[in-house]
Amino acid sequence: MGSAIEAINLTKYYDDLLAVDHINFQVEEGEIFGFLGPNGAGKTTTIRMLTGISIPTEGTATIIGCDIQRRSVSAKEQMGIVPDVSNIYKDLSAWDNLVFTGKLYDMPKAFRESRAEELLKMFGLYERRKEKVKGFSRGMKRRICIAMALMNRSRILFLDEPTSGLDVQSVLIIRDLIRKLNQQGLTIFITTHNIEEASQMCDRVAIINHGKIATVDTPEKLKRTMESLQSVEVAFEATPQNALKDLEELPQVSEAVKLGDKFRLFTRDPSSVLASTWNYAQNNNLKLITVNTIGPSLEDVFVKLTGIKPATAQEEPEKMGHGKAQKMTGRKDQQ
Amino acid sequence: MKDVQSSHLGREIRVAWAIAAKDMRTYYTQPPAIMFGILFPFALFLSFSIGRNLPLVTQIPILVSQTLFFASSSIGPVVIPIERADQTFDRFMTSPVSLLAILMGKTLGGIIYGTGISIIPVLVGMAFFGTQIVNIGAIIACFALSTLAFSALGIMFASIPGQTVGQVMMPLNFVRIPLLFISGVFTPIRELPTWMQAVTMLSPLTHTVELARYATGGETFFGPVLNIAILIAYAAAFLFMGIRFHIMNQRKE
Repeated sequence: MGSAIEAINLTKYYDDLLAVDHINFQVEEGEIFGFLGPNGAGKTTTIRMLTGISIPTEGTATIIGCDIQRRSVSAKEQMGIVPDVSNIYKDLSAWDNLVFTGKLYDMPKAFRESRAEELLKMFGLYERRKEKVKGFSRGMKRRICIAMALMNRSRILFLDEPTSGLDVQSVLIIRDLIRKLNQQGLTIFITTHNIEEASQMCDRVAIINHGKIATVDTPEKLKRTMESLQSVEVAFEATPQNALKDLEELPQVSEAVKLGDKFRLFTRDPSSVLASTWNYAQNNNLKLITVNTIGPSLEDVFVKLTGIKPATAQEEPEKMGHGKAQKMTGRKDQQ
Repeated sequence: MKDVQSSHLGREIRVAWAIAAKDMRTYYTQPPAIMFGILFPFALFLSFSIGRNLPLVTQIPILVSQTLFFASSSIGPVVIPIERADQTFDRFMTSPVSLLAILMGKTLGGIIYGTGISIIPVLVGMAFFGTQIVNIGAIIACFALSTLAFSALGIMFASIPGQTVGQVMMPLNFVRIPLLFISGVFTPIRELPTWMQAVTMLSPLTHTVELARYATGGETFFGPVLNIAILIAYAAAFLFMGIRFHIMNQRKE
């Protein structure tokens, strides 16, 4: 299979500010490709350059082999875009929004109407097709927005934070839909703050930070490269006062973090830490009630690669996707 | 090759029309469009006409020119900032169509709005105040070229990267109001000093007023050929600059 998307030396300056710094990556056809990064890392700027909204300062991108600048019409025919805000016409009905999108793609009347009907049925909105979308819930607006992106039977779907701010039911519907679309052969380029979502859905992820690509790989390979992020999680029946300090001083423990009634001990050598923790419990007459060894999560990799500091995470715990953001910070560098 | 080009052109025209038709449905009745496109020119006209004891038949071309000017140039500055704020303008930028077709669609929205509003005083003048169209070609040229030039002027100003109507409308009015005063709308051009007549010639609105007067049997100072030539030149210049400014915006996006 060939490249569906290729970014070649893609660069964007805003006056003197370098927002995206000569990035290169390829997305294969049929892949779900996650684009992760903290706020301000350059995710949305990259997606705007890939989709032709913004002109790169340097470099270019190709969509199914078509240069987005030189052959923009051919490139744009291949893609559908769902931005971070549901950009629908609130004063038009669901039906009119889809039909208008079909007109933008110059689809013949019969084809655009049958496609609109098919998509509205697929998204469970056909019964409400005549209602103005300003009365729709946020999840329904999101579904309309995705339906509009699929009107032209595109080969690539760009999704910018597709589940951000939605209720659990809408999130599950949209994730399921993305998987189904991918199974039908659609290439998906998705930016998200939700690292767990990326870990579950994406074939490969790129992590961007300060405008540069920190890494591109499969989620599982990324986790494996971070041996130092393995950990042992322990809980005692009664927790002594100085347990955190004592556990941090155990051999092979690079960092200890208290998570509620548990302790997480980061190490390169979980078996040694298990033994020393057992000895620590014996010596202090403590009863171990939980012992787990945990591999690094994609979030651990993300935090490690982006170097997010406690203040950053605390400012935006919600946008990090879940509550782990706070407790994963403050780790000393182990590599 | 010729077939490919004509099908590409056909596609551009169809998409431009779709954009204009959507704008008509969605934005023509929006309060800023009514305020700046209809109420504003009528209020200005009344404030300068009441008490001047001029026959109404001579004032109809002035009212027509003002509505052509304000109504046509208001649609772009109303629609584009709203669409930018809703990010629906990005929808056009990611669709497989040229920037020219997108802006022509927006311009067409202004042309139809300006024509629709301005035809009302013509019909009212003909029905009640004895206005006569003595040169049908001149009135068609007046409407077609003026709405095109003024709508393109609005699109050019709408390239100012604002997300509220006020951010675009305020600088536009800094240009529109002075143009109104130097266009021979309220004072006959013949009575102005020579240097002022030269300044007057530079305003596109002058040539709209002149053509409207000529079409209704009045005098034209510069002559209809020059009026038409200057309106064509302005329409081309505003369209060209509008496209350039929107491309510059894309580079800054």
